[in-house]
Amino acid sequence: MNARDEILRRVRGRKAAALPRPLRYVRVLEGDLTERFLARARAADATVEVLSSMAEVADAVSALLRTRNMAASIHLPPDGALQGLNWGALQVLQTPPGPEDAAVSFAPLGLSETGTLVFPAGAARPASWHFRPGFEIAVLRVSDIVPDFETALARLRSAWPHTINLVTGPSRTADIEQTLELGAHGPKALAILLVRD
Amino acid sequence: MIPDPAAFPQAAHAALGDPRLKVALGRLKTHFVHKRADAFERYGDFEGLRDAGAAIRDYALSNLDTLLETFERNVTARGGHVHWARDASEARQIVLDILRTAKAKTVTKGKSMVTEEIGLNAFLEKNGVRPVETDLGEYIIQLRHEPPSHIIAPAFHLNKEDVAQTFRTAHTDLSPERALDERSALVAEARVMLRRQFEAADAGITGANFLTAEEGSAVIVTNEGNGDLTRLLPRTHIVVTGLEKIVADMDDVAVLLRLLTRSATGQDITSYVSVMSGPGDRDDGPKDFHVVLLDNGRTALLGSETGEVLRCIRCAACLNHCPIYNSIGGHAYGATYPGPIGAALNPGLLGLAKAQHHPNASTFCGRCAEVCPVKIPLPSIMRYWRQKEFDAHMAPKAMVFGLSAWAFAARHPALYRWLARVLARGLRLIAGRKRFVRSLPVMRGWFVARDFPAPQGKTFQELWRER
Repeated sequence: MNARDEILRRVRGRKAAALPRPLRYVRVLEGDLTERFLARARAADATVEVLSSMAEVADAVSALLRTRNMAASIHLPPDGALQGLNWGALQVLQTPPGPEDAAVSFAPLGLSETGTLVFPAGAARPASWHFRPGFEIAVLRVSDIVPDFETALARLRSAWPHTINLVTGPSRTADIEQTLELGAHGPKALAILLVRD
Repeated sequence: MIPDPAAFPQAAHAALGDPRLKVALGRLKTHFVHKRADAFERYGDFEGLRDAGAAIRDYALSNLDTLLETFERNVTARGGHVHWARDASEARQIVLDILRTAKAKTVTKGKSMVTEEIGLNAFLEKNGVRPVETDLGEYIIQLRHEPPSHIIAPAFHLNKEDVAQTFRTAHTDLSPERALDERSALVAEARVMLRRQFEAADAGITGANFLTAEEGSAVIVTNEGNGDLTRLLPRTHIVVTGLEKIVADMDDVAVLLRLLTRSATGQDITSYVSVMSGPGDRDDGPKDFHVVLLDNGRTALLGSETGEVLRCIRCAACLNHCPIYNSIGGHAYGATYPGPIGAALNPGLLGLAKAQHHPNASTFCGRCAEVCPVKIPLPSIMRYWRQKEFDAHMAPKAMVFGLSAWAFAARHPALYRWLARVLARGLRLIAGRKRFVRSLPVMRGWFVARDFPAPQGKTFQELWRER
């Protein structure tokens, strides 16, 4: 008997009687979705800036790079939501970002419960770009903030991507003496530009 | 040191005398115990949430066959491959065959306890494949040729000076003059060195925190992002995990995630949670995607007296809250899974003959069961294994003699009364005016760090009779 059939036979011979599906765990979040998102994202060491329109994104990105003493250069995925913007004097690169580079991304969903960005991968939105750069600047619309992961999953189900990345704050590790350090393998910093529309 | 669960008593004794380990173990309380408590305090509904978590896991285990078949179908439909491994050697061979087909020479690895369990790294090295651990803690202990000492903090027993020394020895192409006094410098150096490895690797191996049947997805939970670079940069991605990690769908994962990260590190959510389904697309992600489902003794526990251990989501809260683990750390167990979960799981996975000491490494204080996010009755399961040990005549002779003598006395009330009276008066006599017994010709070890208050007044039975 091959391994697959033998394992399944063992399971059928031993498992308890099949239980019915348990009731869904539901917990309604209290308070304002956006306020909670802001508070949770900041608690996870992301910076969040609220902008009043997409037209302000390029200036905000330039300012963020200046503050961090980084070159006026960004890596931009072929994402329609970002490519359409006027990036002004910023140098825009299409190549994958390196570990010290800045990359701009567009998050189609945000989770209020935990201040999390949701990135379904696709040809225009490469998953690896959330881990390659040293600095990720993510653009999120206020109207795309949903209460929790369950709500986001319901929206993603019709076109399930090969990778979904939930990102909450920058990369971190506490593997040396249980003391938090930011920027382990992924971005050392995460800035969220939250756009009211 | 070759891990050997049978050598637990000697290893535990040695660990108790290790002053550096004591410093590291002191950090468990502030880093894990307090943060976990704060996180659930903020959340507010720990009991409701863990009832839901336990129900989700029980549903999955009682439908394991159909969920695994659904999982396989959905992974295949997305262009991935599912492999089934009865035991460790079958799993190792499957991984090696995939790597040979892919002509892979260098493999990056995300953190995975299951690949520790099957001894994958040593096997790959012997067969000409170089595995590179990329979780910072795992990378450090791989360089030091040590096994992990904690499920989620594999190098917590080391201090930053140890790590600096390890990096100086390993990273010989860097300037020997460089400063490595700060933790940030160590993290930065590992970032640079490991990024090269990610870029050069032919394949990546990760574990999975969860598998979902409905979506055919594997989910990993990380803070560093190393698991994602392991999946996304090389051509081939292999997930190696225990078959019990399956749940029905992503909605179940959403509930378990709230439990896992709070229980593990006290975070509401980790920096990264990644849902990985099949190969990537033309420009990004792996070209080949494989999942290896490992049995290795798990199905034998299904529906058994100890079957609830299969609910485990590997958060390590039981380790952090265990007075035994807090005294001796993880290495002494000589097994992949230390602490209370190891004590409940290892006799089932390794056999009681090898792991008989683990269920005895408990004070039965019950904190492990109190904090378990999926309500595994860990002390009851340890008690079950102790009973088995006794039934199989494997318990130490002194213990069997002592218990038998006590049982005999307990069944002969007149003898018991007389003995209680004589022993109480005898202890009082030995204690003298200080009212504390400092030592006895028996139980010398017990008296090394303790005094015994001498019984005062009459025995319980004498008092009872007077009423």
